[in-house]
Amino acid sequence: MTSETTGGRALTIGLFVTFILITLGITIWARVNTKNADDFYAGGRTFSGAQNGIALAGDYMSAASFLGIAGIIALSGYDGFLYSIGFLVAWLLTLLLVELMRNAGRFTMADVLSYRARRQPMIRTAAAISTVTVSVFYLLAQMVGAGALVSLLLGIRSGETFLGMSPGTAKVMTIVAVGTIMIFYVMFGGMKATTWVQIIKAVLLMGGTVVLTVLVLGRFNFNLSQMLGSAADASGHSGFLQPGGKYGKEVVGDTVKTVLNKLDFISLALALVLGTAGLPHIVTRFYTVPDAKTARTSVNWAIGLVGVFYLMTLALGFGAAALVGHEAISEQDPAGNTAALQLAHVLGAYVGGSLGGDILLAFIGAVAFATILAVVSGLVLASSTSLAHDYFGHVLMLGRPRESQEVAVARFSAFLIGSLAIVLAVIARNLNVAFLVALAFAMAAAANLPAIVFSLFWKRFTATGAVAGIYGGLLGSLVLVFLSPVVSGKVDPVTGKSLSLFPAGVDFHVFPLENPGIVSIPFGFLCAILGTLLSKEAADRTRYDELSVRSLTGIGAHRAVPAPRTAPAGQHAIQDHRP
Amino acid sequence: MAGQSGHRPADGDFNAISHDRRFRLVRKRSRRLAMGLISSFLGWYFLYIALSAFARDLMAHPVIGHINVALLLGVLQFLSTFLLAWRYTRYSRRMIDPLTAQLRTEADIRAATNEAVIAERRRLEDWTPPGDHRQARHRMGGTR
Repeated sequence: MTSETTGGRALTIGLFVTFILITLGITIWARVNTKNADDFYAGGRTFSGAQNGIALAGDYMSAASFLGIAGIIALSGYDGFLYSIGFLVAWLLTLLLVELMRNAGRFTMADVLSYRARRQPMIRTAAAISTVTVSVFYLLAQMVGAGALVSLLLGIRSGETFLGMSPGTAKVMTIVAVGTIMIFYVMFGGMKATTWVQIIKAVLLMGGTVVLTVLVLGRFNFNLSQMLGSAADASGHSGFLQPGGKYGKEVVGDTVKTVLNKLDFISLALALVLGTAGLPHIVTRFYTVPDAKTARTSVNWAIGLVGVFYLMTLALGFGAAALVGHEAISEQDPAGNTAALQLAHVLGAYVGGSLGGDILLAFIGAVAFATILAVVSGLVLASSTSLAHDYFGHVLMLGRPRESQEVAVARFSAFLIGSLAIVLAVIARNLNVAFLVALAFAMAAAANLPAIVFSLFWKRFTATGAVAGIYGGLLGSLVLVFLSPVVSGKVDPVTGKSLSLFPAGVDFHVFPLENPGIVSIPFGFLCAILGTLLSKEAADRTRYDELSVRSLTGIGAHRAVPAPRTAPAGQHAIQDHRP
Repeated sequence: MAGQSGHRPADGDFNAISHDRRFRLVRKRSRRLAMGLISSFLGWYFLYIALSAFARDLMAHPVIGHINVALLLGVLQFLSTFLLAWRYTRYSRRMIDPLTAQLRTEADIRAATNEAVIAERRRLEDWTPPGDHRQARHRMGGTR
């Protein structure tokens, strides 16, 4: 921050450290209380609907949505709002699937997908690959963002040093530190620690956002129209308050380009609204509650919280446009990720002078930091759960691992995936990886959603169909993005600088859209259908009836109350729940 | 039975339940509910997206001060999401939950009885009588 004093920086660091200490304490408590697989993967299934709902909202409201959406609104106006609407409406699809998936599954999406399959390994492997791919991409976006953000928060600019480190080193150190803490949470605390970290973070985030929103609206005498008016005036664009500033841009005199831009926008909207229900870190959270009804309650809580939160980002974004101004924001970060923080500084200064500005900035900075840490932990937990439960437990050990063995593998997977994410994030630290979030949504919608929906509702659906759908959707999305302008060939028309992953001059893009969803999601569904129709195996009708009964009624579902143990914990083989 | 409470449903029980009149009603209602919800929210969402992409003059039309159609429709998307979630939950609670609760309880009782019968049979079979004929007759009668 341009005007942050040393005192402000000390306060920011102080709050960071407090948050870390509290959450590490929780992790140690969780470690002591984590005894079996249900504890590690599903937090013992004892969270209440409200608790799990707050944690779900916490998992979902990433730094990308808190800082990113506020930034898009501050810089491009209305179009940031389109993002938040897609993110929210998607929860209705989640609400439809949550009870069915909670009833039919145990820990992961693959539990539901493989239920009807006679042989599990193929489908479990596909589900694990898809889970890890989606999570790692999302993770990468968050961690690279964390590096940039924390350097900004601490006010480390080029030419300056922080604790004797250059800005480049500080960025790497930040990524490594965030990654290490994240690994620690997941390895030791499992789902119990991750959920509590998520709850604390969600409460802090909602609290911070409410304070900022009230202060912003207060500045404009709680007159929304007045705030919008000043935002539009300060922005200098004419269409600041209407759609079209960022997505679906109209290019005068170029009909093809205009149509492509609009298709790209619709493609993004499709991925956002269909992706949420297939995001692994959201799905694993369905299993942390005692039963399906509580799972439904928790999704309702999440809808309420996420909705209110995104409405408030509207005030933050337009408020930042009006009070901070376009120039000051884009000078700090061209993508606008610091808009909410700069707004906090301005508002704090308005209330309590320069000290007030520093305090509010430090608080919101700490909230943003907590957000990043919580979200990355959720992602690592989801992928290590799938790796241990689906791949190790059901593929390598053919569904008969010892419970203690599987949990040990899960802890080790957390370490492995976390380390991989750290290395990748350090390599990619200076690349523009913001597109990875939208890509993760597109992959979740194209690969996971067809398999989930058909497993639950299509009588003839087979394992081959599920495997074809998962790989088809996943590869389809990846190939399309690789051949799209986000990877190569997009050049700023004014400066001639590359806006893609690859430097200017490299151009192999063939697919014209930046968002693959409009093609890859139908392709994923098509692969699932063709895989089913072309495979020689017949669907097992008895198993389908069984799955419908289980998913709709909850008979035989995994509940919270642990069965009385006759042998010491951890000595059982995990029993397959199939008759 | 790590983490699984209650009793494991007996083999063939699922098949019997899937033909139960109440289960068919649950399935019919929840399908209709899902179809209704999906068509209304996706239809309304994509209408809004289409308007944002292709009807920009309409969206820019001011309504109150600087608040325009686009902003009102956007906020309406939030309100409709809340409303649909509430309606969905209310319908499930009233029309589906009681039926599934009934089916669950009955299945649990059946499974418990079944388990008790099996346990009793095993206890009797494992018991080696010191030449007591009445017990053996009783066992045969029990399995008949």
